[in-house]
Amino acid sequence: MLGSRAMPGPKLDRALVLHVAKLASLSLSEGEADRFAGELARIVAYVEQLDAVDTADVAPTAHVLVERMPLRTDALVPCLSHEDALSQAPQVEGGGFAVPTFVE
Amino acid sequence: MLESSVTGQGGVTGIAADVRAGKTSAESVTLAALDQIAKHNGELNAFLEVPREGALAQARAIDAKRARGETLGSLAGVPVAIKDAICVRGVATTAASKILAGYEPPYDATVIERLRAADAIILGKTNMDEFAMGSSSENSAFGVTRNPWDRTRTPGGSSSGSAAAVAARMAPCSLGSDTGGSIRQPACLTGTVGLKPTYGRVSRFGLIAFASSLDQIGPFATDVRGAARVLSVLAGHDPRDATSLAVPTEDFEAACGRSVRGLRIGVPEEYFSEGLDPEVGESVRGAIRELEAEGCVVTPVTMPHTRFAVATYYVLATAEASSNLARFDGVRYGLRSRDGDAARDLRAMYGKTRDAGFGAEVKRRILLGTFVLSAGYYDAYYRKAQKVRTLIRRDFDRAFEGVDVICSPASPTPAFRLGEKVDDPLAMYLNDIYTLPASLAGVPAMSVPCAPTRAGLPVGLHVAARAMDEATMLAVASAWEARSPAASLVPPLVAPAKG
Repeated sequence: MLGSRAMPGPKLDRALVLHVAKLASLSLSEGEADRFAGELARIVAYVEQLDAVDTADVAPTAHVLVERMPLRTDALVPCLSHEDALSQAPQVEGGGFAVPTFVE
Repeated sequence: MLESSVTGQGGVTGIAADVRAGKTSAESVTLAALDQIAKHNGELNAFLEVPREGALAQARAIDAKRARGETLGSLAGVPVAIKDAICVRGVATTAASKILAGYEPPYDATVIERLRAADAIILGKTNMDEFAMGSSSENSAFGVTRNPWDRTRTPGGSSSGSAAAVAARMAPCSLGSDTGGSIRQPACLTGTVGLKPTYGRVSRFGLIAFASSLDQIGPFATDVRGAARVLSVLAGHDPRDATSLAVPTEDFEAACGRSVRGLRIGVPEEYFSEGLDPEVGESVRGAIRELEAEGCVVTPVTMPHTRFAVATYYVLATAEASSNLARFDGVRYGLRSRDGDAARDLRAMYGKTRDAGFGAEVKRRILLGTFVLSAGYYDAYYRKAQKVRTLIRRDFDRAFEGVDVICSPASPTPAFRLGEKVDDPLAMYLNDIYTLPASLAGVPAMSVPCAPTRAGLPVGLHVAARAMDEATMLAVASAWEARSPAASLVPPLVAPAKG
């Protein structure tokens, strides 16, 4: 389990930024990655002050006012038409959104 | 100028009354608004899009409705400017981002449907910081918005254009969105009334999402009563927003003018410390003293987790944003990169589209948000921040055991100069220090003008109340407004020529 210093204090360098950018589907240039590394390092250092707050036995907040949102009935309702849904597409083919090929 | 004109003193309620009574037409009110936009928007860049013919067609339809003897809605003939994060069917809606340049939503947001049902006029789309990330409009992909009070200064953000439009009397009211202060801070910096409702009070359906557990749509207006009326129209349960609260509708306007004698005002000592401009502090304390003279009981309160609000917010909001902005990938709408391998490979298309389409601040926040959610860091950062959020909420719960509203400054400084804080993201984040806590707690809060600085820059009084208690908040705000020297001030730019 984590010790008294809960925040691991990572090294926010170009490599980490490029890794995170890949997770976020952002193609950054190396210059961008360097710049963001510097800025993000400062911001992360700032948020690490949260480490000092005693949150033992404190429940996290996911929603401010209710414990659990009520469910609705599982019934079909009118929604966006096919035509409307495709109306803003960069490329349409065969009644769907056309994209470059990919292999999984 | 007609009282009921946008540049007159009547505001939202005056215009609606005059249109309903036939003293003026929706068309002439709309023409006056369009005229004011034509005069000042080139310089201010409050509006990104003004569908002139569409607005006039709406106005004529309302005038025809009246001529047929039909009852008109509570916002009859009232032009409303709409923040560009809110979807209006068939009108370019970009969230001030290149990644959505030219996007025309195939549907209206719920709030737009409600405005239309109340016979309001959808006037145009206003500038903002890209994806609501910012406090100055300097993150907009479509240029900055200038503060009508001093064109070298920012009107604040992220609802920059919505605030400037009302301050410059291009519209008597507008819609903004508030995630960490994006309605209240620009209202404060532009001398307008700006209100963030209780979380869940107003539907987010059709609001381009930034941080789903924090975002709320709310009104700007020239006066408290006008903001209250717009809120009454916007509020209500919406089955299309799963976080929308099922609570009865309320007439918020009825709270305006209610006696505040005996109401207890909490003044948090943490909000009056270093970093607060002395003139801002003086003006806000002056407003609180006047409320005391009106019969309120003023008590110091302590909110010990206030200093963690900025850090908590920037972990949670960026995490949520990284998830919400994943949908902008070039597939279904908006920008699609076809540059090099983006034309041949799906993942390259995603990466290059997003790199080309998002501005620097948006990228910064997506990176930070992705980082705090990633394996190995999730518990230490994201989950930790969620727990500190609980402590911030408890600060409010404890304070509200002894007081009915909490009053403080809305911004630590008056409007800063454009360019002053662009090089330091963290300095920019600290602008929101007084507005963030109410967002994290989900309670309603608003900014109402108080005495300006000696240089003539607006200052705002921030009033927060218990969840679901907008009525008490509005009663206090309107009681202050009745005594406020700032209530009838307009920027010199829009003051009518004497003579």
